[in-house]
Amino acid sequence: MVKEVKELVNRPDNTAYTQQRLPAWQPMLSAGIVIPGFVSIGLVFIGIGVALFVTSQSIQVLEIDYTGVEQSSPCFKCSDQTGKKCDCVMNFDIDSLFKGPVFFYYGLSNYFQNQRKYSVSIDYNQLTGDLDYFTNPDDACFPFQNDRNKPIVPCGAIANSMFNDTFQLFQLVNGQKKEVPLDGKGIAWWTDYNTKYRNPSVTPLRNAFNGTVKPPSWPQAAYELDTEDTSNNGFINQDFLVWMRTAALPDFRKLYRRITEGDYASGLPAGNYSLEIVYNYPVLSFDGRKKVVFSNVSWMGGKNEFLGIAYLVIGSLCVLMSIVMLIVYAKFKFPEED
Amino acid sequence: MAKESVDSGLTWEVRANSRHYHKHKQKKSFLSIRWGRYADNVLRSYKYSPLTFLPLTLFEQFQRVANLYFLLMVVLQCVPAISSIPWYITIIPLLSVLSVRGLKDLASDMARRRSDLKINSRPCDILISQRFSTAQWKDLCVGDVLRICKDQVIPADLLLLSSSEPHSLCYVETADIDGETNLKYRQALSETHNELTSHPSEETLAAFDGVVLCEEPNNRLYTFRGQLLWRGQSFLLDKEHILLRGTVLRNTEFAYGLTIYTGTDTKILRNCGKLRVKKTRTEKVFNKVVLGIVLSVMLAALLLAIGSGVFSSLVMSRTEVLSSLVVNGNPVYTGFLVFWSYIILLSPAMPIALYITFEVIHTVHSKFIGWDLEMFWQQADRPAQARNTSLNEELGQVGYLLSDKTGTLTQNCLLFRQCCVAGEIYGDASVRAEDMKPMDLSWNSFSCGGLYMSAPGLVEKLRGQQCALSRQFVTALSLCHTVMAEWKEDAPVYQAASPDEEALVGAARELGWVFLSRTRDFIVVSELGVTRQYQLLALLDFTSKRRRMSILVREPEGGLKLYCKGADIVILERLQKDCPYQERIERSLELFAQACLRTLCVAVRSVPEASWEQWSKTLAKSAAMTTCDCDTMLERLYDEMERELQLLGVTAIEDRLQEGVPETIDLLQQAGIKVWVLTGDKKETAVNIGYSCKLLDPDTRLLEWQELRQILQSPDPGVSFFKARQTDMWAEDRGTTGSKTAVILTGPELAEFDQRPEWGASFMSLAEQCQAVLCCRVTPGQKADIVTLVRKHTKSVTMSIGDGANDVNMIKTAHVGVGIAGVEGGQAVLSADFALSQFRFLQRLLLVHGRWSYRRISLFLRYFLFKTCGFALVHIWFGCFNGFSAQSLYETWFIAFYTVFYTAAPIMCVAFFEQDVSAESSLMWPKLYNVGQKQELSSPRMLFLSLLYAVYTSLVLFFVPFGVFHDTAFDFQTMAVTVAMAAMFTANIEIVLLTRFWTKFNIAAVCVSVVLFFICTRITHNSRLFERAPSDYYFLGVSDRAFIDPVVWLTALLTAWTAVLPSMTALALNIILSVHDSHKVHSVPHQPVELRSKLIRGTSLRRSSYALSQGAVPGRLITSGTSIRSTVPTVDEIVTASKNPTDSNGQMMDNKTPKLHFKTV
Repeated sequence: MVKEVKELVNRPDNTAYTQQRLPAWQPMLSAGIVIPGFVSIGLVFIGIGVALFVTSQSIQVLEIDYTGVEQSSPCFKCSDQTGKKCDCVMNFDIDSLFKGPVFFYYGLSNYFQNQRKYSVSIDYNQLTGDLDYFTNPDDACFPFQNDRNKPIVPCGAIANSMFNDTFQLFQLVNGQKKEVPLDGKGIAWWTDYNTKYRNPSVTPLRNAFNGTVKPPSWPQAAYELDTEDTSNNGFINQDFLVWMRTAALPDFRKLYRRITEGDYASGLPAGNYSLEIVYNYPVLSFDGRKKVVFSNVSWMGGKNEFLGIAYLVIGSLCVLMSIVMLIVYAKFKFPEED
Repeated sequence: MAKESVDSGLTWEVRANSRHYHKHKQKKSFLSIRWGRYADNVLRSYKYSPLTFLPLTLFEQFQRVANLYFLLMVVLQCVPAISSIPWYITIIPLLSVLSVRGLKDLASDMARRRSDLKINSRPCDILISQRFSTAQWKDLCVGDVLRICKDQVIPADLLLLSSSEPHSLCYVETADIDGETNLKYRQALSETHNELTSHPSEETLAAFDGVVLCEEPNNRLYTFRGQLLWRGQSFLLDKEHILLRGTVLRNTEFAYGLTIYTGTDTKILRNCGKLRVKKTRTEKVFNKVVLGIVLSVMLAALLLAIGSGVFSSLVMSRTEVLSSLVVNGNPVYTGFLVFWSYIILLSPAMPIALYITFEVIHTVHSKFIGWDLEMFWQQADRPAQARNTSLNEELGQVGYLLSDKTGTLTQNCLLFRQCCVAGEIYGDASVRAEDMKPMDLSWNSFSCGGLYMSAPGLVEKLRGQQCALSRQFVTALSLCHTVMAEWKEDAPVYQAASPDEEALVGAARELGWVFLSRTRDFIVVSELGVTRQYQLLALLDFTSKRRRMSILVREPEGGLKLYCKGADIVILERLQKDCPYQERIERSLELFAQACLRTLCVAVRSVPEASWEQWSKTLAKSAAMTTCDCDTMLERLYDEMERELQLLGVTAIEDRLQEGVPETIDLLQQAGIKVWVLTGDKKETAVNIGYSCKLLDPDTRLLEWQELRQILQSPDPGVSFFKARQTDMWAEDRGTTGSKTAVILTGPELAEFDQRPEWGASFMSLAEQCQAVLCCRVTPGQKADIVTLVRKHTKSVTMSIGDGANDVNMIKTAHVGVGIAGVEGGQAVLSADFALSQFRFLQRLLLVHGRWSYRRISLFLRYFLFKTCGFALVHIWFGCFNGFSAQSLYETWFIAFYTVFYTAAPIMCVAFFEQDVSAESSLMWPKLYNVGQKQELSSPRMLFLSLLYAVYTSLVLFFVPFGVFHDTAFDFQTMAVTVAMAAMFTANIEIVLLTRFWTKFNIAAVCVSVVLFFICTRITHNSRLFERAPSDYYFLGVSDRAFIDPVVWLTALLTAWTAVLPSMTALALNIILSVHDSHKVHSVPHQPVELRSKLIRGTSLRRSSYALSQGAVPGRLITSGTSIRSTVPTVDEIVTASKNPTDSNGQMMDNKTPKLHFKTV
């Protein structure tokens, strides 16, 4: 019974793939899986929400607006002086121990660091210390590319607009001002400090800047940013790095210092404090606000009530929805059994 | 003369044998400027030449709005002032789309070129300088004289000048033109015949200098008007003198013809219709949605641009650090630039990847069709083939199936399966013809097989000479017909105008009554080896009105016998009283009808000599009368003769259906597909096939034209239709009558629709309620018109299926065209979108592949809309918080990779593998097909919902992270990574929710997509890349921190979960509710097929179809003797000068034809 008629050249392959018979898992979902699933996911969310909320509540935050809009504000006198050096002092009290390590932020609002023209106005090549770009900054830096035919280093709007208020914190102990040591090291990202921004390998640093000019708004050149610590100059200046990492939204904070040293390593004890501000940065013209923020951190970073609440809301919504589903299910199931 | 012909519309002038004259006026074209009058005979279905390919393909591709849009994007991105995304993000995909598409078009054009070449280089014999030389079809020119040999395809429309046969008759097979398989007769003018055959032909033909004046080329297959001017005389020409391109010369050694129309002027090519680019309905809807998206994007960009202008004038001017960034200090100009920046930034909402992915999916679906073993036809070693790879989802939405009959539903082969003689039923039609054990017919030297009836009893009776009735029955079969016998290798080969007759005569031959030959006056039959010669006295021809034919012969013994066969109704009312076995025969008729066999009643009558003489005299007299009266007179006379018949028996012929046709039609009808049959064949045949393929049920009420017209003319067709149905005699209750109506139309009746276009809509609304519509005797052009009618008045997808050249037009016109490749491969396949080998494969093509394709593609489109819009529209909301500056919330690399790496693979897997139910269940539950017909998955509403969902997602994607990152120390880049992560998670969770069929590929694809996101992000944030190109990889180090930050993760998860929550809820509710539904479906018993076609007892279900295709013509030819060969090989010839009384009306009687007498052995 050999009945091999002829070679079937065009016969399709009989494989699971060509015959669309791939083994497959077809989840048979039913109300019995879906409703408990919804409930459990909801409960997980509520759990996370509670954890986040509790954590967030335990974080202490102290915000001080020093823009000087109101006349009563000590900084009111500085608010109308645009660009001129002005000092003001903000006094505040701490009722109980502000647990350490305390992070010291400055915050700006209504400040559009995420404006596209602004945020692209930067020359990454120049900031890696490439001297070619010192003499010839990227076009993206325009209009902060050249100043009277001399290249601006560091060029661009971001660098030019660097925040230049400075702060000093004192604890008032028995009428005596006791300076709280502020740690400015390591406040920038490791990658920024080590890879993204490099000073040219020229010593002394200022020689690299020959033939260039400082950004127009800067009081001093890049190599003179930190007069105390010479290694904290040029493009790897910590404050510069923090500023250059642009904010996502118009209201933002940036880390200024950490309080980790001396008597304040475990936190700021209760008492009276005085914050001395060198008020340089104008924000009132565009209805902006400036503030300083003291905060301690947890595993989830700074205080963030929104996240915890959002988790709670969504989690409850899931549970609520599963109840609705249960009702719907019951309505559809039971009439049939009658 | 010339002026007259212009007046009468005969303006097409052809001069025989003057190549130069016509060549001069040949149609030519250069750069789409055309001139000249006569087309050449070259088939050009290709589009491109090497020179025109690039410009043409670019032109075609940029006609697609999407491609043009992306070109604009590329151009915009090259402008530095507005470039919000680098230019290379768009140009690479655009180039690949253009080249892939272009190469695909080129490949299919090459295939067209090859098939053209094959046809153009077919050989033909052209008369050039007094000699016939072999040339190719493409060399043929108007005015050439051609020699066509037997079985050759005719290369152009010819005027038949003469042929090798007497009277220059010739036979053509027109199966490719009208689907009829029987032979047609064509005859040359007697003048050309006489002059051109009297001398050596090549010289006389070369000297032939007639001029043909005729109509301009047109698409009317069944008419021709013209005149031949030759030797100062003018002869009228009609369609009987014309051989059409595409027909095949049969039974004629050779024929000579004058070329009248060539190439695109020929009637068949005029009937072919234009090659149209077919677009699917889903694609059209989707294109509209895309257009909508583009417009909304523009609107959004405009609003954002206005915002930007306001922002730059109000805020930026006062912000020292920003004021210098306002371009030229002009807010309006800034706004203008930002508008274009936003156009670019929002362009990923309509990704170019969509179109290329769409094509890949279509191609894979087409491959699946080709790979399906269940649609592979072993006999011909031919798999199914999707020739057009962009119509797959349309297969899942078909509402109307318009099918050809011959070769598609039927096998084109008639078998004598049963008969009832003297009340005894022989044969069993319930056994399939292939399974039949053939009878032992070795005693019959003429037997050549082909009788699929096992009736040893009958043979015994015939051979044993026991039963006079059965002998007479077979004698009737061997005598009463118009078949011609041609001798080949000492055996007669039958050539019949009607395939039914061929089957009957063939059956008689197997049973021992062998029809040997016929002359004008005699029929020679070998009855069980004894050669007997019957004198043919009169042939009472078949007409569709009479529905019967009779033959009056003088038996060798001298008696006069009238043998008659015809439709049961006509025969039964002409029987003598107390016919033996009548009741049993009538019952057998019903049985045969139930088995869907074509039945014919056979009867006999002995005619007294006296009455014959009387009758023949009257006949001669009436035949001489004027034509009008003559016909009625003849009919009355015929009627007189066909009385007092004695019923001999009933024959039952099976018009073999293609395998599985009734089951397929039944299944498709259950799936809600309306099946229409369009055929060039006769009404009776079509109706019979309708019954046998379960398209019509025995109790279906047939609505014919007269009635239909009344309904259409009435003021309210719907009401009249309902009334008409109520008069249905078999109606038991209103509910069942609804679908039990079928409309039968014929070609000429359909032509009335041209004059009354307003009928179209009401006809379609009636047809919607009918079980089926049958259109008979329609031309290829009309078939296409019907398709157009359906397309115009319904929103459904139409599908045409056919096998021959006559179906090409309708295949091209329908949304989806299917060609049946059959045994020898068909013409239709070349212009079809899908090629199948068997009609029954339609089940799988539509219900399995089509349904899956539709579902997969709908899911794909909706998901694609969701994921791209959801991801791109985020920029609108972000714009409100960045000064409307067209700042991107994502890293550019994420934008580039999102559609390609992070979200493409899982949806591709769904689009390839998704199966909601298995193939078996799809066939088991044809109702599932309705989803596609109603467009439930791809309706504009569904697409709109997807869009709405996308907008919701984009809101969530922005505002949840916004809430978290607002007034914190997190920087822009961390937020970008968080939102990107959330977008990627959302897209992947959504696909997890969509997927119901998890193959290993699906699982891998989802995992790989998620993993790829982390890998690619790590790569683009890598320090090494940054060192190479700092300005392209400035996200350096972000993922180092973000991926270990719990806030980033918690935010991304919360965002993704919130984004998919609606879809999750919808799915859950769906599951909860569908548990109930599916339970319902399963509890409803499946309606068995048998219930519907069950016979209703006590009603007459008898139907008979006597389908002789050629009308009265063959009879006329036989009686006038023109078609009889002058030599019959095996029988001794004695020429006598006997007078044939029926010849009195034979003007065409030829004195040269020898009158033959045969020795009676």
